[in-house]
Amino acid sequence: MKILALVKYSLDAAEIKVNPTTGALRMAGVPERFGDLDKGAVELAVRLKEASDAVVEVLCFGPPAASKATKDLLAMGADEATVVDDPYSGSADAAIAARVLAAAIDKRGPFDLIICGFAGDDGYSYQTGPRLAERLHLPLVSYVSAATIDDGVLTADRDLEDGVQSVRVPLPAIVSVAEEAFLPRRVTLLQAMKAQKMPNNAWDIEGDLGLSRETLDAVAGYSVVAESGIVVDRKQRVLKGLELAEMADLLIDALVDENVLALKGSA
Amino acid sequence: MATGILVWSEQPALALELLGQARRLADARGAEVTLCTCGEVAPAELEAFAAHGADVVATSAECSADAARCAAALGASISQAQPGLVLIGASKLGMDVAPRVAERNGAAYAAWAVDVGYDETSGGVTASCMLYAGTGLATYRFQREMTVLTAAPGAFEADQRPGRVARLETLTPGEKSSVVEVLSMRAKASDGARLEEAKAVVDIGRGVKEADDLAQSRVLAGLLEGQLGCSRPVSSDRDWLPEWLGLSGAKIKPELCLTLGISGAIQHIVGIRDSRVVVAVNNDEDAAIFTQADIGVVADLTEFVPVLIERLKARGARPDWV
Repeated sequence: MKILALVKYSLDAAEIKVNPTTGALRMAGVPERFGDLDKGAVELAVRLKEASDAVVEVLCFGPPAASKATKDLLAMGADEATVVDDPYSGSADAAIAARVLAAAIDKRGPFDLIICGFAGDDGYSYQTGPRLAERLHLPLVSYVSAATIDDGVLTADRDLEDGVQSVRVPLPAIVSVAEEAFLPRRVTLLQAMKAQKMPNNAWDIEGDLGLSRETLDAVAGYSVVAESGIVVDRKQRVLKGLELAEMADLLIDALVDENVLALKGSA
Repeated sequence: MATGILVWSEQPALALELLGQARRLADARGAEVTLCTCGEVAPAELEAFAAHGADVVATSAECSADAARCAAALGASISQAQPGLVLIGASKLGMDVAPRVAERNGAAYAAWAVDVGYDETSGGVTASCMLYAGTGLATYRFQREMTVLTAAPGAFEADQRPGRVARLETLTPGEKSSVVEVLSMRAKASDGARLEEAKAVVDIGRGVKEADDLAQSRVLAGLLEGQLGCSRPVSSDRDWLPEWLGLSGAKIKPELCLTLGISGAIQHIVGIRDSRVVVAVNNDEDAAIFTQADIGVVADLTEFVPVLIERLKARGARPDWV
């Protein structure tokens, strides 16, 4: 059995700050890494491998620098990694990323199971799983919080708004993992050292996938007119160092001033 | 450029919010608004959909929570209406369906829209969408015949004009049955209340550790005639509340959001920043939440909340919006 984990080398969104005066996004120095959601996809792949003797590959459409971080994923238990150099430096429409990933999956596959995060760790636009389901004509089981494979059939729990749904689907299929469902394992020094020598491929869209920048450009659905940070003006009044009852009264007074509360006897 | 607008969400309240926005856009351009739904539409329902802005209500006989089948039903409606814009509710199901609709129809797609309009010169769709987990906003100009957008609950407002009429159409989507077999559904505990509609929300974070603190938070929410919300870690780790506030959860805009032990991570702030007044109680003076609050109280919440409850009662404080 072959399992593929798709990972995004993403910006650490928590480190993106907004300049409060200009409203500009401060992108300089924001670190890139495989986030927990992406590592969660690898974690599920490795757990299924341990239960069934599968081969696990990892695929990333991202910067060449990601090839260093894919070694961490190999250390977790993946057998081979491929990074397809992203000529758009992470800014491409997800429609383009889906085409590149589909082409790379065609070349490296076929896979019995493809696993990705339910959303990218920076953009949170939830697109890769559903787009690949359409392009590869595979069933998608999304928001998965538990999964097992038995005799070519995947049984999984889906974490939905109003409940947990259990489903069953014959492979091949795509799975997207839910938030915090598969916490990535810690790797040992020995595993990290062994990962240095494992196959870690660097591909490009032209030579390896036969795609051209022009054909991909034509897929883009939009152009970006502007980007800005969201600044919410809050009064930021802080009460501290007083008696608790005094702070409670000052808070109540402030909420009366804001027309949130009314007091007994007032209109 | 096609001008029609198609609206779909499996969540009824969200569908009406999208319908409100679609109606406002369509009125400016003399366009037709189609609401996609499923099952039998009773005359009173048709009347309500019309009042909320639908010109056409297109329904498929069978309701399904399978994303491929929903995309097929929308596809049938798209063939009939040929819309230029498709608005889909950003529920988990909607977020699964929207990229599929875009792929099937060669449409442009962007998630988390908070504003939609048209470019004055080209007539193409433009939209502002949340970016980087809600830290920023991107403005996009779309360049396809059709644009698909998703919007979260509360992004747009529903609107009613009684007396409008809509016609009913029947859809016959030709999708095969799904290979994904549903074995069971275990419902999460829920009081059925919709956080999006609460006027006051007491929002508890990791700082609320003990069952006693939870009980006090409930008492406070009750005094404010509000509801209890929480952050994602509280929902997943403590199993107290099924629904959380934030980018991947509910987004609220109450009169008052009173946070207890919330640290202020952006993924959570996105869910509460449209509140009119934000109060933060946290014992860490450097917590990011204080920059996102109108009034902050630096205190141990286990000690402060009972005192606040006592003072609210003693002073006969009641919500001012009732």
